[in-house]
Amino acid sequence: MNLSSLLSKKRINLSLKPGKKEAVIRELVYSIKKGEDAELIISTLLKREELGSTGIGKGIAIPHCRSLAVEKLEIAVGRTLKPINFKSIDKKPVSLIFLIIAPPQDPGNQYLITLGKIVQIAKEITKKNLIQKPKTPEEFISLINDLEKGLKRRK
Amino acid sequence: MNEDLTQAHLKLLFDLDNLIDDMEEPKYQKIGFKVENEARLLLLRKRNDLLKKLPKELAEIYERLKKRYHQAIAPVENGFCLGCFQQLPTQLLTRSQEIITCPNCGRILYWRKK
Repeated sequence: MNLSSLLSKKRINLSLKPGKKEAVIRELVYSIKKGEDAELIISTLLKREELGSTGIGKGIAIPHCRSLAVEKLEIAVGRTLKPINFKSIDKKPVSLIFLIIAPPQDPGNQYLITLGKIVQIAKEITKKNLIQKPKTPEEFISLINDLEKGLKRRK
Repeated sequence: MNEDLTQAHLKLLFDLDNLIDDMEEPKYQKIGFKVENEARLLLLRKRNDLLKKLPKELAEIYERLKKRYHQAIAPVENGFCLGCFQQLPTQLLTRSQEIITCPNCGRILYWRKK
């Protein structure tokens, strides 16, 4: 499955208000679920962050977890107006965040496959210095689509 | 104990167990997410603390189911238990606020909020 097909314009916020890591995660989760379900996801994501930051370096973070609260794999993307502290592995602030939530039952391990793909795409984004390039959610999806095609061609 | 709080602890325990499983999955580590052993032990401790917050009988059921099926909780979708894919009796479908188990496989049922 293409990564771009899992993205939805409504869940791409390219002008996310900068704030604490938890507040930014919260805002992205609330674009997927509300209330009790959202709180469960946030608790699990924060527990994951306690294990080590999902800030993979060079300005990108990929918070992720499985949760009972979702029926299918869900992705939200946020780009903060100013870089925020995410306690990343390279200690650099983060401005692009891919948030991934998968259901516990996940035949074919789509979750780990998608997570792997996002890591690859994120590396391409940083390598080509594209974090700030897309101006709209449509442009963002189109960029991911192009990067994905490029990666496939290389294989 | 307050039923809502018990349900919240149960759901978080289940999500944490999935997190622990993923961390131990070689494919996960291959992606590049390294987890230090110390952090892993801390998470296991938190998991056990959460288990202790459940009523003793429920904690025992949860652990027994986890041992047997790996995943002790199964979501309900369109009246089916997603653990064993059996249709649930109609009378159970009105009890989505309670902690109940699937009459077929015994997993704890979870109704997602609509």
